Amino acid sequence: MSHETYLFSRMAREDVHTLKGYEAQGGYQAFKKILSEGTSPTDVTGIVKDSGLRGRGGAGFPTGLKWSFMPDPTKDSRTRYMAVNADESEPGTCKDRILMERDPHGLLEGCMIAAWAMGLAGIYIYVRGEYRLSYARLDEAIQEARAAGLIGENIMGSDFSCEVQMHKGAGAYICGEETGLMESLEGKRGHPRPKPPFPAGFGLWGQPTTVNNVESIFNVPFILERGSDWFKTMGTEKSPGNFLCGVSGHVEKPGVYEIALGTPASTILNEYAGGVWRGRELRAWIPGGSSTGFLRPEVIDTPMDHDSVKAVGSMFGTGAMIILDQTASVVHSALVLMNFYEHESCGQCSQCREGTEWLAQVFQRIHDGQGRMEDIDLLTDIANGMAPGKTICALADAAAIPTHSVIRNFRDELVEYVQEGGHAAVSKKRSLPLEVV
Amino acid sequence: MIDSEKQPEIKRVEITVNGKTVQARTDKPLIHACLQAESEVPHYCYHPGLTPVGSCRICQVEVQQGKMPARVMVACRTPVAAGMVVDTESKGAHDSRKECLEFLLKNHPLDCPICDKAGECTLQDYSFAEGQGEGRSVEPRRKLEKRKDLGDVIMLDQERCILCSRCVRFMEEVPETPQLCVAGRGSHSIIETWNNQPLSGNYQGNLADVCPVGALTLKSFRFKARVWNLTKTASSCGECSRGCSTTVEVLRAGEIVRIRPRHDEEVNKWWMCDTGRFALDHFAEVDRLVGACMPSATRGWDQSPVEDGLQVAADMLMAAEKPLIVASPWLTVEEGTELLTLGRQLNGRVAFVSPAQNELADDLLHTGDPAPNRRGLTDLGFEALSPEEILSAASEHSSILCIGERVASLLGEDGFNSLPSATRVLLFDCALPAPQEGGNSPIDLAIGLATSAERAGHWVNIDGIRRPILQARPAPTGVWNTVRLLQNLLGLLATREIQS
Repeated sequence: MSHETYLFSRMAREDVHTLKGYEAQGGYQAFKKILSEGTSPTDVTGIVKDSGLRGRGGAGFPTGLKWSFMPDPTKDSRTRYMAVNADESEPGTCKDRILMERDPHGLLEGCMIAAWAMGLAGIYIYVRGEYRLSYARLDEAIQEARAAGLIGENIMGSDFSCEVQMHKGAGAYICGEETGLMESLEGKRGHPRPKPPFPAGFGLWGQPTTVNNVESIFNVPFILERGSDWFKTMGTEKSPGNFLCGVSGHVEKPGVYEIALGTPASTILNEYAGGVWRGRELRAWIPGGSSTGFLRPEVIDTPMDHDSVKAVGSMFGTGAMIILDQTASVVHSALVLMNFYEHESCGQCSQCREGTEWLAQVFQRIHDGQGRMEDIDLLTDIANGMAPGKTICALADAAAIPTHSVIRNFRDELVEYVQEGGHAAVSKKRSLPLEVV
Repeated sequence: MIDSEKQPEIKRVEITVNGKTVQARTDKPLIHACLQAESEVPHYCYHPGLTPVGSCRICQVEVQQGKMPARVMVACRTPVAAGMVVDTESKGAHDSRKECLEFLLKNHPLDCPICDKAGECTLQDYSFAEGQGEGRSVEPRRKLEKRKDLGDVIMLDQERCILCSRCVRFMEEVPETPQLCVAGRGSHSIIETWNNQPLSGNYQGNLADVCPVGALTLKSFRFKARVWNLTKTASSCGECSRGCSTTVEVLRAGEIVRIRPRHDEEVNKWWMCDTGRFALDHFAEVDRLVGACMPSATRGWDQSPVEDGLQVAADMLMAAEKPLIVASPWLTVEEGTELLTLGRQLNGRVAFVSPAQNELADDLLHTGDPAPNRRGLTDLGFEALSPEEILSAASEHSSILCIGERVASLLGEDGFNSLPSATRVLLFDCALPAPQEGGNSPIDLAIGLATSAERAGHWVNIDGIRRPILQARPAPTGVWNTVRLLQNLLGLLATREIQS
């Protein structure tokens, strides 16, 4: 259980969200060093690339590689931007919030290093609207950093300038999709853009843009300070480093834990989160946020890293584990998720607009005891019609993957719902005698 | 409106579509090349005149590029690249389209039997071509507003809408008057106007054309006709000097029920203004001038066949010293040529009525000049005279021949009344001037003509582009077209000259 932690290392100190508290723990040293030594942007990108840091927003794309997609400034003189995706709204995910609330300067330092590496003129931090404290803390941090000459014009007396601005989301899940986020930042409806063109060539206001997750950026100063070799000592070969694992659902100690990539999910569940709630049995678990689907208890020993989770037919996603105990219903949980995706689909693509609604309707019928055996195949066909890669963005995939997972891993439960007359009958059978707490 | 299709800076690359080699434009998406190769690719959100958004997802085709395995992708958002091998008929492409159609039809009301779009609806066509016979959804269909009034021109049926957003983009991109939007999100999306305000502008009618389904229909066409009963004829619009290419659609009984723009890259692209689209009154049967008419001694008009009228006309024109020949700007180039011959024969002064600029001009299509063949007649050598100039010139001539569609209304009833009573007035027009009490009419002879929907010829538009008008329906019995009339008149005059 004991392993090196760094993401949470500063948080023991209460005032780390202030510049004073942050600098007292060695904050902004990595950025200042780069600036004073004049490390070339290519070298900075190279270090991040070499560290093997993979994006923490869900897709697990190598961060350094993403940075290197930005066009060469000697050939393309357009203004460049970065958008930090802090619109954390994947159900089950609550990790970026901790970083922004407790250690906002850590994120800002990462932003400034990224700005140097990519020659950015501006950084937009798109904060989920409900994250009021995150917004307030980041706002204060930006003001402090600007006053200290760490953000804005001629940073630390150099020629280098970069602005940081914040934007508050208005509660749409789809604005967490990188191109939906850019549309939203531009003041339009958060309708994802078809790709190509990709953001690195045509992003915010048509300029080269990189979109990174908060946690990805937060890792950067540590890598620059301690080196990519140090980073690679943690985690697995293909997924180095630590990640923030938000554990929720039927566990004794729900919360956000800093965990080395590759740690088995059972270890996270039992040793960090205190096991399944009240010692009950595990019925199902979701490895990385709602769109990664339901897995069976038999695979709870799967190491939590991108490739291992993929091998069991799911995705690492945002690393947000949701645990369902023996009394819970996968069909009911799937219905809740489908209602979420139906509500959050932007409605551009035919398959997603109609498909998310249809999935929710079929799950609702099965849940209500009006399911038919052929509905199980229908669910498969609907999900196959929506994904993979059949729509502009991955929201349709996000609804199709859990659907497939229910059919693949919990077909018995679907059959039980159809045969026994829906949720009322099934949940009655599963309910445990009342306990006095 | 001149497009760059023929201009040299367009880059092209060679690709293969269903085994055919195509020089595909690199500034256009793949679907453009597929359609160019005459391969049918179903599409809803894609319209060649609007920005592609790739949202309906129906235009799936199989693309093989380099060494990568073939993939099914949407053709409207895929850039072309040299060496692409496209198969629009692969199983994967058909399956994807079939899936997509099932989603599109899930909430569609399937009210084709009462839908005005039925017969020209691509949702119908592609469902028939690609879709499955039966829907598998047992869920209740979405209930939305079926008769949402969007102003004077358009009625919206939200249940039929497949949210392709062509209408939204049309309003934003073509007349640049954004008025429509997609409101709501996901399955709750609907097309709306801001604050439910009615649509405005002179280009609303195009919305019914761009709508691929029966969601946006023309109020004036609702429940008027089944489209398969319409006979369609290519023609040009005569409401301004743009001369937009059109299709004139005639119902079995001969009634013109709809005029729609016809794609013409050089003139009007895919669009036309409402002024031209709804100018159907000019083709109405009421007040038609049939045969030849002379003021009756008692009251009204004495009717006779055209042949008799022409004898009278020949008499009158032969008697005149130097007649004033006034053409309507609706006269075709061919008719103008005949008229010039007549003018030379009679040693007359030939001019056309040049109406004043109206206030309908805009930056898009309408030129504000109501004379459709101004350029053609001017090029032939006609003199352009305003109605006032014509009326003052008329007093210097012993007789005046006014010929062509709408020439009487251009000169005006008061204009005719102001002519000296000694002047012989011959009027060859489509509509009958208002009836007058016996003997009082300033008109000595009137002969009916075919309208621009009943005759063929060419007009030359403001940019010098020559476009045809074609006969969309037969002229009423006893009505001749202008060329026939003029040729007969010339023949009569020639015979008389020989006789004398």
